[in-house]
Amino acid sequence: MHGDKRMKLLRGFLILLTLGLLGYGFYQAIYVAPTEATMGDVQRIFYYHVPSAMVSFLFFFASFVGSIIYLATRRNHPSRALAADALALASAEVGVVFCTVVLITGPLWARPVWGIWWTWDARLTTTMVLWLVYVSYLLLRRFAAGPQMQTLAAVLAIFGYVDVPIVYMSTRWWRTQHPAPVIGGGDGSGLAPSMATALWWNVLAWLAWGILIMVVRYAVERRRQRVEQHAALRALESSLEVAL
Amino acid sequence: MQNKAHGIRIAAAVVVILATISYLAVTGVQANKSYYVTIQELQGLGDKAYTRHLRVAGNVAPGSIERSGTNATFVLLENDKTVRVSYKGVEPPPDTFKDNAQALAVGTYGRDGVFHATQLQAKCASKYAPAPGAKPGMQSTAPASSGTATM
Repeated sequence: MHGDKRMKLLRGFLILLTLGLLGYGFYQAIYVAPTEATMGDVQRIFYYHVPSAMVSFLFFFASFVGSIIYLATRRNHPSRALAADALALASAEVGVVFCTVVLITGPLWARPVWGIWWTWDARLTTTMVLWLVYVSYLLLRRFAAGPQMQTLAAVLAIFGYVDVPIVYMSTRWWRTQHPAPVIGGGDGSGLAPSMATALWWNVLAWLAWGILIMVVRYAVERRRQRVEQHAALRALESSLEVAL
Repeated sequence: MQNKAHGIRIAAAVVVILATISYLAVTGVQANKSYYVTIQELQGLGDKAYTRHLRVAGNVAPGSIERSGTNATFVLLENDKTVRVSYKGVEPPPDTFKDNAQALAVGTYGRDGVFHATQLQAKCASKYAPAPGAKPGMQSTAPASSGTATM
């Protein structure tokens, strides 16, 4: 129980840290960052849109790694495989939340500055596909059960992850409506230093929030796995008693 | 038995999903090679330019915008190439549509040499700069101006 108390303290600390960071990120994005020259205040969506995209990529990567570990260890280290599976699930869920935020803030920003809510250019389409891939991953996990489902889900998460680099590279590979990357986009791209500060604070804040949710979700999933194992064990025992 | 059938059904679903995704990816890539054409490409298309629904990209030539209601005519510029655009649509052009802005006109190229657009889309630069003399938090970059801030 000592460990439980420590976990609780750690979680409390993480919650406070996250709230502080989110508050400071908001302050930076809304009050400190300068208004953008051509787009005006609506450009502040940038401080939510871009961090969400970055963080969703990170969580999809965690899900990808968890899925690989699950597939690699499911035969020889079943308990490790279960932990990896819980990690893959928890990260995919958080990734989908962030990807949803990207797909909502994008059109809200596009409408005033592009004049349209949506267009089927490479960046927007591949992002929509990414969202669909991970939503189907979550649906698969929800409506099927057992180790077979976990194997299939892991395969889907690994295949689905292929779309992440495609989304990232889409604005470099093809002509798109979506602008080229603001960071590391070469000539003709760039960010005023005060804007970069606000951006990175928000990346940090949303990353902290994502990790917090992921950690909690992981713990819940691990508990669910234990309950399931207990139930399976009990069922086995009672069937043995009947046989005796 | 039950479990096996279940597994096969899920496998089939996964195959369908992946097939759909790859189909979308392949066709998407083909279509998006030409998300828009440049003015030079438009003028090099020959007869095909008049029959296809196109998006043409360019910069709005300064001073060329003439608005009337929600409609507008203007000239798109790309290096030394220009094309006159006549926009007739239900919605006014977006706020970011102004002199020197990058714009996409969606419509058809007429034999009269005018591009008849039914939709205008602004294309944003990926360079963000602070507006001159705006907002708090600009202490370092802007000389505190009391003049009227645009935008």
